[in-house]
Amino acid sequence: MRELEKIEVDTLVVGSGIAGLQAALDLADQGYSVAIVEKAPSIGGKMISLSKVFPTLDCASCITTPRMASVSHHPRIKTLTYSTVDAIKREGKTFTASVTRKPRYIDEKECISCKRCEEVCPVYLPDEYEQGLGAKKTISIPFTNAIPQLPVMHPEHCIRCGACARACPKDCIEFLQEPAPVEIKAKAVILATGYETTPMTAKKQYGLGKLPNVISPMAAERLLAPHGPYGRVLRPSDGMVPGSIAYVQCAGSRDKSIGVPYCSRVCCMYAIKQAILLSGSLPIADITIYYMDIRAFGKGYEQFYNNARAMGINFVKAKVARITEDEKHNPILRIERQEGDSAPAEVKHELVVLSQGLLPGCDVSKFNLGAGLNDFGFVQLSDETVSSAVTAGAGVFAAGVVKGPRDIPDSVVDAGSAAMEAASYIRKL
Amino acid sequence: MDEKITEASSKDNYRQEPKVGVYVCHCGGNISDIIDVKAVAAALAKYPGVAVAREYAFMCSSNGQDLIAEDIKNLGINRTVVAACSPSLHELTFRNVLQRAGVNPYLHEHINIREQASWVHKADHAGATAKAIKLAQAGVEKVLRKDPLNAIRVAAEPRVAVIGGGVAGMRAALSAAGKGLEAVIIEKAPRLGGKLLELGKMYPSGEEGPAIAGKLEALVRADKKITVHTGADIDFVGGFVGNFKINFKNADGTSSQVKAGAIIMATGYQHYKPAQGEFGYGEDANVVTLPEFISLMKNSPAGRLEYSGKEIKSLALIHCVGSRQVEGIHKPQADGKINDYCSRVCCSSALYAANQVKDKYPGVRIYDVYRDIRTYGMQHEEYYDKASKDGVLFLRHNEADQPVVTSDRTGHTVKVKDVLTWGEELEVKADLIVLVTGMMPADISLIRSQMKMPVGADRFLQEVHLKLRPVEMANSGVFIAGTAQYPMDVPEAMAAAGTAAAKAAILLAEPDIPLEPFVAVVDEHKCTGCGLCPAECSYDGALMMSEKNGKKIAVVNPALCKGCGACVAVCPTRAINVAGWTLDQFDAMVEAIAKE
Repeated sequence: MRELEKIEVDTLVVGSGIAGLQAALDLADQGYSVAIVEKAPSIGGKMISLSKVFPTLDCASCITTPRMASVSHHPRIKTLTYSTVDAIKREGKTFTASVTRKPRYIDEKECISCKRCEEVCPVYLPDEYEQGLGAKKTISIPFTNAIPQLPVMHPEHCIRCGACARACPKDCIEFLQEPAPVEIKAKAVILATGYETTPMTAKKQYGLGKLPNVISPMAAERLLAPHGPYGRVLRPSDGMVPGSIAYVQCAGSRDKSIGVPYCSRVCCMYAIKQAILLSGSLPIADITIYYMDIRAFGKGYEQFYNNARAMGINFVKAKVARITEDEKHNPILRIERQEGDSAPAEVKHELVVLSQGLLPGCDVSKFNLGAGLNDFGFVQLSDETVSSAVTAGAGVFAAGVVKGPRDIPDSVVDAGSAAMEAASYIRKL
Repeated sequence: MDEKITEASSKDNYRQEPKVGVYVCHCGGNISDIIDVKAVAAALAKYPGVAVAREYAFMCSSNGQDLIAEDIKNLGINRTVVAACSPSLHELTFRNVLQRAGVNPYLHEHINIREQASWVHKADHAGATAKAIKLAQAGVEKVLRKDPLNAIRVAAEPRVAVIGGGVAGMRAALSAAGKGLEAVIIEKAPRLGGKLLELGKMYPSGEEGPAIAGKLEALVRADKKITVHTGADIDFVGGFVGNFKINFKNADGTSSQVKAGAIIMATGYQHYKPAQGEFGYGEDANVVTLPEFISLMKNSPAGRLEYSGKEIKSLALIHCVGSRQVEGIHKPQADGKINDYCSRVCCSSALYAANQVKDKYPGVRIYDVYRDIRTYGMQHEEYYDKASKDGVLFLRHNEADQPVVTSDRTGHTVKVKDVLTWGEELEVKADLIVLVTGMMPADISLIRSQMKMPVGADRFLQEVHLKLRPVEMANSGVFIAGTAQYPMDVPEAMAAAGTAAAKAAILLAEPDIPLEPFVAVVDEHKCTGCGLCPAECSYDGALMMSEKNGKKIAVVNPALCKGCGACVAVCPTRAINVAGWTLDQFDAMVEAIAKE
């Protein structure tokens, strides 16, 4: 272990997705100091890996990177990436967080982000940023617009060839680097730990993630992203351009059988958005969305849905009972239509996206901060008709999906109000 | 102090003879692998006005920054050109270096030789180098003609005016006051609470509307930083960021004025009022709206759901009345437009009300006629689930096949082409028809027209950007809270209001508001008073014709000018320039680039 680093700030923000970034900025711009702890090697959360965002079809990077840059340049915000919050202790009116900076195996202060190490590294591994659809080097900067622009080495894959160390112009490579402990003292805590999508393995009937051409919506985002793994939409099994694509809605929400009875709020809209983007990149492809109810409830969303219908995207009210595949890995959907002909039918598509729901990204109960959780692990507010951020734990506030599924506009708005509650709380201490 | 615009003092270094330092960055090979950076530095060292030219691996690193700071200290460099990456990345970094070293930060020019030279001319090293030299020389010419600039500072009233005293307005005022700001709520009704005062039991907490409003009102009344004006009839809203004025008449006929640095629009919504005859509304007494039904339920005796003295044994809910309207199917509203948006909260409200009926009067039959059930919130799906379990019968229709309500002596009939039973025409009898009406923005036409506030096609107040600036209006210093922006439920309005207060608090964090110095500046000697420029200006009040010493001239209000340059383009005498981006500077840059 390296020497203990001590940081003292007004507020600790856990998580640097769009909600965490916005909450930090809204506090820092009012004059409060903030420390953000992010477990991933870059700030930006889930949003930075999306292609475009509904209902305006702005490129996700174009919306996220200015926020990331503002945070990283802000004189009152300290950002700790590739770091985990191991525990938070409350002592009187002060929170003390024990944080571990994971080793990147480089000297972070000296690194000039020149990528020479990445260029010479001979070992490739699946790139989780590209949802496994692309490859990265064992030492690499996590993605193009990552902040900070620092490479991470994965020692479990490193063959100790030393090529990176020889290529580095600043002699930064540290094969023996150890985790570094950090202690953060703060007056308030904002939980912005976001979500994970329901796993591909959640539903046996949908192939448990074993059917190669049944993919997650996050993988579809990468296929559609302008700087994605292939630069175009190809299906995983054989690299073919799919001619018929289906979305299975509520594949992980509104489903008691997998313990997620609630609506995940974003899946209808992201499916519609991806369908619109797909019909842009694959103009002759057939796109079908199998749904229960289309929940286009936000500002401009109904109009977005109407545009998708006008573009010829098929909306079929049907339950998908089972997904199998033929010998060419074409997914076969067994569906029961809820309108028109209701007899069960089998429909073949060439690529299927499971519209997965949202689960809590982190079990925040482990911090013992007094913030209650609901039955599904999301943070419960003390009275949501009075404040949208105050939890039962004094000085503990929540922003974004940590309280339950919500889309980007709702999360951004939510974050500002969490910042405001934290500011009022600190002022009254 | 009213509209005083203060200028921070500036360093006098522009009076000294210009000494330009040029710094060429390798960007770790990004630039130096293609461009001969030593040749660029050598060429620039010989250029007129340049005192020193250097190249370095990473100008942005702290060593690189120190290099510049030392030249400022030791060589008296008072203007800098950095030829490196995009200015969006590091212009601010180098401006800060100048500031720290005691030079006006705007005496810096950032030249992009990475995106604009090395990255785009990878195959042509000599060409890229020549281009980099030209760009850097143009930068020198520009920086030689730069004037020191200072942020324009507008003194601000340390007060937030909240228009509307519903739950969103009260939350916004509470949050602003929590931060130590004065907040003034201006409410036209005699009481605080807005639309909630009319509503009965509400999801998610099951409290009655007035009780929810009451909780917030108690907090508002206890907060010394908040002033409340009820029964206030606003007749004027004007001014600009930091210095707004709101005039209103009080209930007793007297007039008041509130001065504020920021305005929060919490003007709320109105229930959609069905047209005469829409599903029989207004013609048949037994056709009511959901808000009317909720109050009716509140007033019913315990064992019997009653309306006009008669027992209601069955009712039909019809969703999407006044929402999700379709061109050609629905009649347009008074302004000729249809309500094509989803009102977001009505599905959950309707099912929550249906469940209350089933709990209190289990015998009542309920039909729910819908297009999509949008119970999106965390617990909302439970309302849908419970309603289905309790025997609410759901009938789903397509938008093209609207349900039809008819009444005769035997009662009321809803005819639905139900897609759930394969498009069969079903007729259900109901004692009461409940129209699940949506939301429309409250009528705020006076304020909107006085402030030129933008609205969307849905007539709700329009934010600048749904994700980047979701509660800010294009009118600087004006923020939106709650249903003035779009339909939302109470918890959502709390979030929006808190954020609106956060934005106001950020704006008013300092006693004066710093604005970018890049605004139009008029040369009074050159201005002929022709009056062409104000017509081009898109920002009301930013550029106006005025009289000075008996001469007509254009006058800029730097607090309102956005520096777009539209006025510069039409001025026949080159009397207007945007500070930091003057025509002389551009002329000199073009000359430098075009020179053989």
